[in-house]
Amino acid sequence: MTAVEANQNSFPRISTGNPQADLVLGGGLPANSLNIVMGQPGTGKTVFAEQLMFANAGPDRPTIYVSTLSEPMSKMVSYVQRFSYFDGTKLGSEILYEDIGPLLASDGPAALVPWLSELIKRSSPKLIVIDSFRAIHDLSSSPPDMRRMVSDFAGLVSAYDVTVLLLGEYTLDDIDRYPEFAVSDSVIQLARQPLGTRDERFLRVLKLRGSAYREGRHAFRITGDGIQLFPRLISPRMATSYTPRLERTSTGVPGLDEMLEGGFWGGTTTLVIGPTGSGKTTMAMHFALEGIARKEPTLYVNFQENPAQLARAFANLGIDLEAALSSGFELIYVSPVELQIDSIVVGIFDRIKDGKIRRVVIDAVGDLANAANDSQRLHDYLYSLVQHFAVNDVTSMLTFESGISTDGGLDAHQQRLSYMSDNVLAISLGGEERTRRTIRVVKTRNSGHDPVVRQLDITSAGARVS
Amino acid sequence: MTRQDAAETHRAIILVVERDPHVRALETFFLNEAGFGVEFASDGQVALAMAREMQPDIIITEVLVPKLDGLALCRAVRKEPELKNTVVLIFSILAAQSRAREAGADAFLMKPLAEQRLVTTVRELLARRASAVAAASHP
Repeated sequence: MTAVEANQNSFPRISTGNPQADLVLGGGLPANSLNIVMGQPGTGKTVFAEQLMFANAGPDRPTIYVSTLSEPMSKMVSYVQRFSYFDGTKLGSEILYEDIGPLLASDGPAALVPWLSELIKRSSPKLIVIDSFRAIHDLSSSPPDMRRMVSDFAGLVSAYDVTVLLLGEYTLDDIDRYPEFAVSDSVIQLARQPLGTRDERFLRVLKLRGSAYREGRHAFRITGDGIQLFPRLISPRMATSYTPRLERTSTGVPGLDEMLEGGFWGGTTTLVIGPTGSGKTTMAMHFALEGIARKEPTLYVNFQENPAQLARAFANLGIDLEAALSSGFELIYVSPVELQIDSIVVGIFDRIKDGKIRRVVIDAVGDLANAANDSQRLHDYLYSLVQHFAVNDVTSMLTFESGISTDGGLDAHQQRLSYMSDNVLAISLGGEERTRRTIRVVKTRNSGHDPVVRQLDITSAGARVS
Repeated sequence: MTRQDAAETHRAIILVVERDPHVRALETFFLNEAGFGVEFASDGQVALAMAREMQPDIIITEVLVPKLDGLALCRAVRKEPELKNTVVLIFSILAAQSRAREAGADAFLMKPLAEQRLVTTVRELLARRASAVAAASHP
């Protein structure tokens, strides 16, 4: 445990009501703190706050939601009760709604602190959400007055045992402009950006005083359970100390093990590169089938064939997919049009983290690349995932569709994928009709291999190297 | 409020040494609500002078107060025979539990203000003091 972690363990926190968001925040929001959740309308600020409110509500002291926009409680309630975290028995007793809109409109922003002080004396709240704090700026014509008010406000809420959440339609430019960002203990940004025909949402921690947190963009979606967050995968700390298992794992392809001195080392990652129709998926299926035959729990991640198509392909190789699924074989299928790399990669990680899965196939990494608008991010994710495979002793195979290389070498994209892989197999199509398949072992880490280009035959019975 | 005034109303006197206006206002409110009489000083020197005059039941002091800090105030109070029955509670933003103990404080509480914790601690300290005073007068 590091000194920072030891400190974090003694740092009182309150849960956001979302375990994944708590993970990103290093354990939750600091207790007795002033926090900002910023984002444009429709980014999920209210859902984030409500989830936190219902998770922390209790009979001891109330949680208070303060509207500055004169939004009627009935409107808030009509929406919140659609979520699974809603508990109607808590409304009016453990969770209170207050409207300060009319007071602010008549007396100006200076009315906030005295009102809040009375609220604290009257209700002893443990959590206060103010929605929207940014809107209060619109009621002020004097930035110096507003600055004084914010300073006074921060003084009041830090004097008392209460955690405060300020919601606001802030932009990144507002961070330098508005004083609440300087006095806040944390700033969480929620945003959405177009990606193809859909939008991608992400959460980012911009500030968290006195605590480490997971930096970067964490994708999320809003479901009936609230915010479903996919924390950006980071490499495991013990990656540097990992050593491949000294036990060979069969590729499942007759003749290929001989090229690899008996198969892949256990716990390694193999990249299979080749053009369309070269047999990458068949190779991947053989690898998975070998896992089934050896009763090794195997995860098959596939973006091309739907389960029915995959069942047919497995049946051609003599395997009943239904039977396999009931005996340790797991399948993740996501249509290429629905791909969101964060959810896929985190989904894979969730399956392997308990240590049961021994083999993983991802067919094909190129589909993930097409779904990602940031190739650097994809590579970071894949690198982290491969590191997690290694420390969890998972032997993996990734397929990647290449262009048709004239000299048999790897292009820049393939080179980057190659660096993160222990083994690389390249399949080529040759001959006048481009029907003659050959396979070459490009590299094997910590192992010798047959460097000769061999013939790869794919028939209805499967693949064979000769 | 003097000890005599308080005795007539059966209220314990608390001297709060605090310069943060919000803490001061909330502390007054919650201690008054709990039935205590509260007096204020915003620096340690004034607090010591007031303590000599008032002989409060409890001094609640922040460490970070001007002129004479809360720990020095506690040590000074411990040297005053007239204040031998006065309880000192250090209530601070600083994690100074061991330094408070070394200075002779009866208890330490960390900020922020949580009224239930504060009032419970004050009541416990007063009960403990009453037992100690009773034991001393009937040895």
